[in-house]
Amino acid sequence: MSYARRALAVAWKDLAVERRSKETLNALVFFSLLLLFVFQFTLGGDRERLAAVLPGVLWLGFVLSALLALGRTFLVEREHDCWEGLLLAPGDKSAIYLGKLAGNLALMLVVEALVLGLFVVFFDIDLGRALPGLLVVVLLGTLGLAAVGTLFAAMTANVRARELLFPVLLLPVQIPVLLATVKATEALLLGEPLGAVGHWVKLLLAADVIYVVVSLLTFDVVLEA
Amino acid sequence: MVKTLGWLTAAALAAGLVMAFGVAPREVTQGNVQRIMYVHVPLILASYVAFVVLAVASLVYLVRRDPAADGVAHASGEVGVMFVGLGIATGSIWGKPTWGTWWTWDARLTSVAILFVMYLGYLLLRGTIDDPERAARYCAVLGIVAALDIPLVHFSVYWWRTLHQPPSLMKPGGFTGSSSILWPLLVNLLAFILLYVYFVARRARLLRAQAEAIA
Amino acid sequence: MPDHWSFVAAAYGLTAAVLLIYWRRLATKEREVEASKRLNAERSREPSITGHPRSEPASRTPLQQNQRPGAPLP
Repeated sequence: MSYARRALAVAWKDLAVERRSKETLNALVFFSLLLLFVFQFTLGGDRERLAAVLPGVLWLGFVLSALLALGRTFLVEREHDCWEGLLLAPGDKSAIYLGKLAGNLALMLVVEALVLGLFVVFFDIDLGRALPGLLVVVLLGTLGLAAVGTLFAAMTANVRARELLFPVLLLPVQIPVLLATVKATEALLLGEPLGAVGHWVKLLLAADVIYVVVSLLTFDVVLEA
Repeated sequence: MVKTLGWLTAAALAAGLVMAFGVAPREVTQGNVQRIMYVHVPLILASYVAFVVLAVASLVYLVRRDPAADGVAHASGEVGVMFVGLGIATGSIWGKPTWGTWWTWDARLTSVAILFVMYLGYLLLRGTIDDPERAARYCAVLGIVAALDIPLVHFSVYWWRTLHQPPSLMKPGGFTGSSSILWPLLVNLLAFILLYVYFVARRARLLRAQAEAIA
Repeated sequence: MPDHWSFVAAAYGLTAAVLLIYWRRLATKEREVEASKRLNAERSREPSITGHPRSEPASRTPLQQNQRPGAPLP
């Protein structure tokens, strides 16, 4: 099987499993709704204060959902005793990484679209002209999270205290992505054009490239038998 | 040979101490509390050395699978985290009387704090994996990812703090360029780098011995 | 500005304390490993009663394996 086909096969399998069970998607949607409530109760009283922290709160919601989604990347393989199968798979294992990354990216984007929609409705945000720029920032930021998240998910899949170690390892490394996305979102929601946050976009692009390339190169090492 | 290094390090540290209190002058604006700089800055800089070595050793390990390289990475991680932690603590102690606050989220402090947390995670990963070969592999990957992240951290934090915002507070101990401040600083820097090398040598040797004892 | 010597002492003291503790931990662990190595070495060097060095169990022939050290050959 060619490299691309193997990657696609992995992505397709994960998405098919997800589409049938909708386990992760449902849980994440519900989680996002709950987050919305929590944010409203903890921060929502003062309209102006909420508007000021909204970009941060939005990305906080994205990141928390991402931690849940990414942490489960290899859950199916683990629970159904397929881990050995992964290790013994022939050929370039980075194809598995790409497949997992694509699946994770799709899942996360769906959840984020939902969260964004909920925010617009419940917090009365006017996206308007900001939307295209916002889409770019969300896409680049999500790719950054998913790229490292998928790699770290593989690394922590079979270690003790996996649920603790995964966020502990991922969050510090993701701080540049978090800073960039929040600052860019903040500016965009204030009506600034995408060009005004060009430096943040470039940082996100650089981060994405670095993360994906390094993950591709080292995934084989992580999945060594 | 490690023993000689140990004695050399002790001598350098002693010399550094003498210079910090005997040679360095009483600073004009801050007074004697500025002498904290002579441990604070060397600790931070030596930790940078540690993290660079960690990155290189991780790369070497991935390419050659030499346990010695993994030992150096492991030891460097321990000493690096210890030094940067001490650097943050001493910086905080210095900041309280001079800035009036234990902490501030300016660019440099934030970056160093992120570094601390990243490499603490590295040590946690080491501690969680029992199989030494798997630990070496995973930590090498993490070490490389962390190292590549450092420029991203640097720029993102710097832009976060300086764009649309006035420059941050004056940092303690600005360089007047006078040699009576520079030389104590350099001597202490050398001493702490020697201390780093000594600790890594000894720790790596211990790791090797522990591995042999199990085998 | 006053000198804040207590802060200076705190900074230098903390540094010295942590570094010393790490140094002593290294020394303790080294001694532990030394001790366990010596123990392993002694155990593997224990001579058999006949004074012959012990051979690996798998390399002994059935005759040798059945023979107890010091027992006369049939």
